[in-house]
Amino acid sequence: MAAEIVEARLPGIVRLLPPLAFLPAGPLLTGALRALARRKPGIFDRLGEFSRERFFIDPTDLGFAFTIVPDGERSLVRVVGKEDGANAPVVVRGPILMLLGLLDGTMDGDALFFRRIVTISGRTEAVLALRNTIEDAELKPADLLGLTGALARIADSGILGGLDAARRILAVQPAASRQEP
Amino acid sequence: MELVCPAGTPATLRAAVEAGADAVYCGFRDDTNARNFPGLNFSPAELAEGVRFAHGHGARVLVAINTFARVGEIDRWRQAVDTAVRCGADAVIAADLAVLDHMARAHPDVRLHLSVQAAAATPEAIAFYADAFGIHRVVLPRVLSVQEIAALNRAIEVETEVFVFGGLCVMTEGRCYLSSYATGKSPNLNGVCSPPEFVDYSESAQGTTARLGGFTIDRYAPGAPAGYPTLCKGLFKAGGQTSHLFEDPVSLNAGSMLAALKAAGVTAMKIEGRQRGKGYVGDVVRAFRRAVDAVEAGGEAIEIDRLLAAQSEGGRQTTGAYKKTWR
Repeated sequence: MAAEIVEARLPGIVRLLPPLAFLPAGPLLTGALRALARRKPGIFDRLGEFSRERFFIDPTDLGFAFTIVPDGERSLVRVVGKEDGANAPVVVRGPILMLLGLLDGTMDGDALFFRRIVTISGRTEAVLALRNTIEDAELKPADLLGLTGALARIADSGILGGLDAARRILAVQPAASRQEP
Repeated sequence: MELVCPAGTPATLRAAVEAGADAVYCGFRDDTNARNFPGLNFSPAELAEGVRFAHGHGARVLVAINTFARVGEIDRWRQAVDTAVRCGADAVIAADLAVLDHMARAHPDVRLHLSVQAAAATPEAIAFYADAFGIHRVVLPRVLSVQEIAALNRAIEVETEVFVFGGLCVMTEGRCYLSSYATGKSPNLNGVCSPPEFVDYSESAQGTTARLGGFTIDRYAPGAPAGYPTLCKGLFKAGGQTSHLFEDPVSLNAGSMLAALKAAGVTAMKIEGRQRGKGYVGDVVRAFRRAVDAVEAGGEAIEIDRLLAAQSEGGRQTTGAYKKTWR
């Protein structure tokens, strides 16, 4: 039940990994998004004018961030430094395991925001459009990997199960028990 | 008792139905409904598919066309009504006189629900809508106590629907101008209270500042639960004191009052939150399904406050006006 929201963070040592090592993630994710747009073009319709927005996604427990322009077959994902967020029109910050939970629908975005596990700044309307689009897309890992059939089921089960296990192992503090000032 | 649940997207509609909703309510992707947020709502094709899915699972679909039609553009609202009926909607939820009139004339066989936006909370007002347009149900504003609802139900001949969970609008809806004052846009005409394009969150070492239309609405210390900056839940300085002048940033939870609301003659329990995600909707609907079933079986509502605390804005809940206490 989503009421039991527990924040999970990667160990601090992960932040020390050199961002350069993750640079290939940009082209890979760009290709995955564009392929997704070719297979399911309707997914991006819900974004409307915000499909051309540049979203700065900052996993707070990693040493780098992403910029994402979710423009269908013109989508672009880049691995960037944390400092790029200063001038980004839209910023979403949170631990990577929680952000991935938003992507696959495991986590409720509003609950994470109300609990301050995820923070946003910049164009709130763009964040809402992105959130609603992701919600309705009901994306699974296999969708991004371009897998179908039995292989997709195995990938979804393995990846989502792994993420769930990681969240349990790396849980840092029950958010609901935080003290209000 | 009927459990009426929100559906902001097709995925949420399916989640609500699968979680046990008797009915879901939704709107088109434009300003004809009072939740006109970016990325939300249904195209006609999505609505038709949603209706098929809901009917296939024994649930009904209520379509909200509940903003007030603008002069010179009334046909857009009439067309929205016609489209909803063509898609198989089980009822249309409306507030505007022109929209109600069109429903009554063009689609007399389709159920008509009076939206909370109509702010009808007296026997006289409700009787007018029943006589003039044949409404079957009225959605009551969140300003009445259970005792007042019981008295109202004894004096009217249509069904009543009340909000039991979610965002708490403390004003008489349809007559609130706070959002218009701060942003020039309102739920009444534009379908959005505190529109997100006017919302700004800024982070600093001291925490988060939430602004609406340039007005600072609240500040949250690091780690403290945050909320959406609606003016009625803002922190204001007045008379030398700083306080949540209109209402604390809390969510409505009348889960413990289901039996009392049933005894007061209420037909339908409504969960607010078309802007919320399918995880939220699924959790809340499942909890309320169990609670409603428990009450229908003659027992007390299950303890759902704790289960749903994390889903609430500000992390806090209230029974609102249903259980009035003076301060």
